Amino acid sequence: MLITRRLEFSASYRDRSGTTHGHNWELEVTLSGPIDVETGMVIDLKELKEVMEREVEARFDHRSLNDDTPFFRDRAPTPESFAALVFELLDRALPNRLLQRIRLSPTRDLTIEVDR
Amino acid sequence: MIRVIRRYQFSAAHVLARSDWSDARNRAVYGKCANPSGHGHNYRIELSLEGLLDFGSAVDAIVARRVLADLDARFLNREVAAFARVVPTAENIARHIWDTLSEALAPARLAGVRLVETSNNSVEYFGSEPHHEQDRGSGRAAAARDR
Repeated sequence: MLITRRLEFSASYRDRSGTTHGHNWELEVTLSGPIDVETGMVIDLKELKEVMEREVEARFDHRSLNDDTPFFRDRAPTPESFAALVFELLDRALPNRLLQRIRLSPTRDLTIEVDR
Repeated sequence: MIRVIRRYQFSAAHVLARSDWSDARNRAVYGKCANPSGHGHNYRIELSLEGLLDFGSAVDAIVARRVLADLDARFLNREVAAFARVVPTAENIARHIWDTLSEALAPARLAGVRLVETSNNSVEYFGSEPHHEQDRGSGRAAAARDR
């Protein structure tokens, strides 16, 4: 069973050419796991929501990826490297290796997928 | 491989609570979704179908009769036999739709059921998968649930 939750946030970044720009990022987080026989759920959606808010929204929303987070001090972020980082942060915070996939879209014309 | 995705919708009320648990325990596990009066969603079903060819309208008729007639405008816990003892979480509703349709759509083959509960939440089911059969522990759902 796959379960997917969505989040939007806004963040700016400075790419390798030195141009600063921002996006409304759309993030879809997909977990894969069995239906818990007792509760009928894969995960408590409140818990998933809280993890996404803590690991992603609180860190990146209305921030500059370069200047306001420690992750891109030495290298310019790309949508791909940002997506890989988001996968890693969520994977560390979620139980039982439930994280299966994220889809991160800086615009509606571009989506980066990271699969386990 | 061509896969066709066909979309349907229904509106239904549900309560997330187990009758063999106390109100307090149901509140603790399911949060505001345990409100006994129930609450509702406009659910969207997306069926992934293979080998559909031109059988689309036949599939629609089967879905209408076996799924939508059963679920649309119902209080799932009280009016749908499948949820008399099974908590109608999105996960269990998706599995119920899969179980109802998986053998019924031939010659089309059902490849997956996606159930969209809100614009932020959806689940997908592809039939039983061996590594999904184990119970990875039931203690995770301790906090309130936001649906």
